[in-house]
Amino acid sequence: MIKVYLPELGENITKATISYWYAEEGASVVEGTDLVEVATDKATFNVPAPCSGTLVEVVAHEGDTVHPGEVLAAIEEDTVSDDKTEE
Amino acid sequence: MSIKNECNILDAGMLDYPQAFALQKRIVDNVICGKASHTLISCQHPHVITLSRRTSKENILAPRQELEKCGVGIYCADRGGDVTYHGPGQIVLYPIFDLRRDKKDLHLYLRKLEEVVILALVDNFGLNAHRKSGLTGVWVGPYKVASIGIGVRHWVTYHGVALNVKTDKDFFSLIKPCGMDVEMASINDFFDDDVLVESVREMLIKSFCEVFKVKDNRRQKT
Repeated sequence: MIKVYLPELGENITKATISYWYAEEGASVVEGTDLVEVATDKATFNVPAPCSGTLVEVVAHEGDTVHPGEVLAAIEEDTVSDDKTEE
Repeated sequence: MSIKNECNILDAGMLDYPQAFALQKRIVDNVICGKASHTLISCQHPHVITLSRRTSKENILAPRQELEKCGVGIYCADRGGDVTYHGPGQIVLYPIFDLRRDKKDLHLYLRKLEEVVILALVDNFGLNAHRKSGLTGVWVGPYKVASIGIGVRHWVTYHGVALNVKTDKDFFSLIKPCGMDVEMASINDFFDDDVLVESVREMLIKSFCEVFKVKDNRRQKT
């Protein structure tokens, strides 16, 4: 299980608001694509999915205040099936 | 010249809001994957009201029929801030700026955008342009002249700053700008002589390059 954290957004930024989830619990997500948008002052910041897999848990919901380092969600990583047979 | 310091300057002229949005997205993707350097798009929009995801419907004061009658479109954008108006006579700067090559600090970036406008207005017009404590934007006296709202993906910025040069202020009465009780003004309001939009655009570009320490690549090619 890979946790999704709110990164540091700047020197004096201690909090942000969850403004939009691009995926719902149970949905497949792709590494590097926008997962959740947070807002602070007049800026929005898109937190990307850290890995490909299934979004199994959304911890922070739209409208919630979150802090850098806080867990926002959890992703069950895709297992890479190695179905190569010996040549 | 290192790519770090280059900035593509793109004058998009009068551009519909959705087209400007699509253009930004394309360039953001190219900057994220390293195919393009910082890019500064400047343009004007036909009459349009844009909202953020956080905008309360109460901040649009005019009924939809009136907006349609005035030819004002409405779009929701993935930027920070609240409701705003764009229209002819207003210069919009959309910097697609790679903060991975600068400082990864959203608020510092907002302050720098304000500085771009303040520097241009102080140096070229001698106006007392300033910030307001706790707020984002640029004021001249009690009047707000520039609004800011940005989005960031993979630490590459989009959306930006809108400066009223000779904007028809009546359109601001259709909304509650930025969700605040604020009186908007244009640079042209402070002078008897006509202020040229194109001149102010060049002032802003020069100021942008100074504040962000980048080189206008149009100048490198000459």
